[in-house]
Amino acid sequence: MYRYDEFDERVVRQRVAQFREQVGRRIDGSLTEEEFLPLRLMNGLYLQLHAYMLRVAIPYGTLDSRQMRQLALIADRYDRGYGHFTTRQNIQYNWPRLRDAPDILEMLADVQMHCIQTSGNCIRNVTADHFAGVAADEVEDPRPTAELIRQWSTLHPEFSFLPRKFKIAVTGSAEDRAAVAVHDIGIRIVRNAAGEVGYRIIVGGGLGRTPMIGKTVREFLPKDELLAYLEAIMRVYNLEGRRDNKFKARVKILVHELGAEAFIARVEEEYARLDGPSLNVDPAELARIAAYFAPPAFEALPEGSAVLDQAAARDPDLARFVRVNLYPHKMPGYTAVTVSLKPIGGPPGDATSDQMRALADIAERFSLDELRVTHIQNIVLPHVKLDEVPQVWAALVEAGLASANAGLVTDIIACPGMDYCSLATARSIPIAQEIAKRFADPDRQQLVGPLGIKISGCINACGHHHVGHIGILGLDKAGIENYQITLGGDPGNEASLGERLGPGIDAEQVPDAIERIVDTYLELRHADGESFIDTVRRVGLDPFKPVLQPKEPARAAA
Amino acid sequence: MAAGKRAALPLVLTASDLLDGDVVFYAGAGWARGLDEAAVAADEAQAAQFEAILAETEAKGDPVAPYLMTVRIDADGALVPGHVRERIRSRGPTIRTDLGPQARQERQHVSV
Ligand code: SF4
Repeated sequence: MYRYDEFDERVVRQRVAQFREQVGRRIDGSLTEEEFLPLRLMNGLYLQLHAYMLRVAIPYGTLDSRQMRQLALIADRYDRGYGHFTTRQNIQYNWPRLRDAPDILEMLADVQMHCIQTSGNCIRNVTADHFAGVAADEVEDPRPTAELIRQWSTLHPEFSFLPRKFKIAVTGSAEDRAAVAVHDIGIRIVRNAAGEVGYRIIVGGGLGRTPMIGKTVREFLPKDELLAYLEAIMRVYNLEGRRDNKFKARVKILVHELGAEAFIARVEEEYARLDGPSLNVDPAELARIAAYFAPPAFEALPEGSAVLDQAAARDPDLARFVRVNLYPHKMPGYTAVTVSLKPIGGPPGDATSDQMRALADIAERFSLDELRVTHIQNIVLPHVKLDEVPQVWAALVEAGLASANAGLVTDIIACPGMDYCSLATARSIPIAQEIAKRFADPDRQQLVGPLGIKISGCINACGHHHVGHIGILGLDKAGIENYQITLGGDPGNEASLGERLGPGIDAEQVPDAIERIVDTYLELRHADGESFIDTVRRVGLDPFKPVLQPKEPARAAA
Repeated sequence: MAAGKRAALPLVLTASDLLDGDVVFYAGAGWARGLDEAAVAADEAQAAQFEAILAETEAKGDPVAPYLMTVRIDADGALVPGHVRERIRSRGPTIRTDLGPQARQERQHVSV
């Protein structure tokens, strides 16, 4: 785990003290709301539908047990006993009070956490593959790179007032689990023909009103040139990104309007002008950061586990959990366990303070004290011994966290939607809950196989609906919630945007429509267990279109 | 709220409490936490008065983010927000009926 240096510590503590004073001045009336608004947003404090909302950054989704316990304590002391894990690998509290916000920030600072740059037109929390340091197909752990970017971008004076918010994701694996193609900048750690490690840089992806897949602007950037090159991209964007229209201000629009070629030319021109060596990080500093992410002290264990095999043979529920929620670890005898925050009928991504504490205890005892928050709104225990999976599973069952649905049809991403969010045009969570109930039968879920449903409550697309195998977008149609369904989106290596299946439908019709989409897929898929997304890619949308038509009463055959 | 068409009659004035973010409604003398206590503007003259209070509130900045919201009055005389968003905002999350104003009301119902 990365530990703050003195500089980080001082910056965060100073910020808490400043915010305490600002809140005090707001409450005593010496700051107007207009003056205060940007200050509270800079500290992650929003005003939502029912209350304030505080967004806490979890850099690259990595937490230790102490931090998770603190998040639980904050939920109990200052909120309503729960938190919401988001698609940005962050956590949000839905009910904090303004006067408590400085105390919450103080508690976060005690465990080296903060809310800086979780809002506003700046470089936001950097996300990364949740199986970092675990996956066997990894060229390199993405977190030292993400941490370097975090340090470089935190309070960067030149990039604090960008045309719009800016999101960066990093993956070090052959399989992209960080959705890098739909970020403002996506970074893939790759090896070139000579075997050297470097970066493929992708710019201009994004979701929202105008979804786009990012363009590769550099196939291979030598590792030590990263910061100067990012600086060049940011400068071009900062200068040329549109500030006249909020909806056209993201870098994706600049890349699109200029064209990839011209954008690359500008970046390269800017890059040539920069004094690279003064901007790039000293290799010693890079090594210092990387040391924090050195592999933990794994034990030498045999492949496989007789203990686990025997336990799974005795207990079909455990066997199912093992089949669905375990991810292979690069170290023999270890596995990564996905803890689903998607119980059937529960709000996706929510965890109670008791569950957070249970996760902290389990991580401390069984996962080398590490936890990851995934952009799919689940938690990962990255380093669990196969032998100890039965104990971990038993503890998860106890905490109500043993849903065996990772990656399946009920593992739904849903943004807070109109139940919490003041920007929403429709609810998301109840839609997710109703769909999950339809597919509650675990055998049916497994029969259907991998299928990602993603739901957003407005065009801002926090629920990533464009890259859902099935995407659902909630809109307002003359005061009534209305849902558009898209098929064929994918956030991974072959990133694609979903296509609209047809006109929007009412909330009550959504679960039926999804069931019929899934049934149609089951009829069409190849016998070898072709996945949903592969089937949609092969057959196109046409066979699915009839599902949106209201079921006609059976007519007598002519 | 963007300038332009004012919310249709009848309407109430709503905002968020500065200190705790709770949804509040203008209740004639001060601000109340339940929609049932809200003062209603039923005609243009009252609506104009509400607009003046809205401007005053904005200038004062407490409560925060005030705006006018259309309601209808149901058969029992209860106020019902016109739009689904406002219905959810005035009651609390539909997926957590133990939270928000709806929970306060339930507790009151139990104790009364
Ligand atoms: S997608 Fe829209 S409704 Fe959902 S959280 Fe984002 S802004 Fe709110």
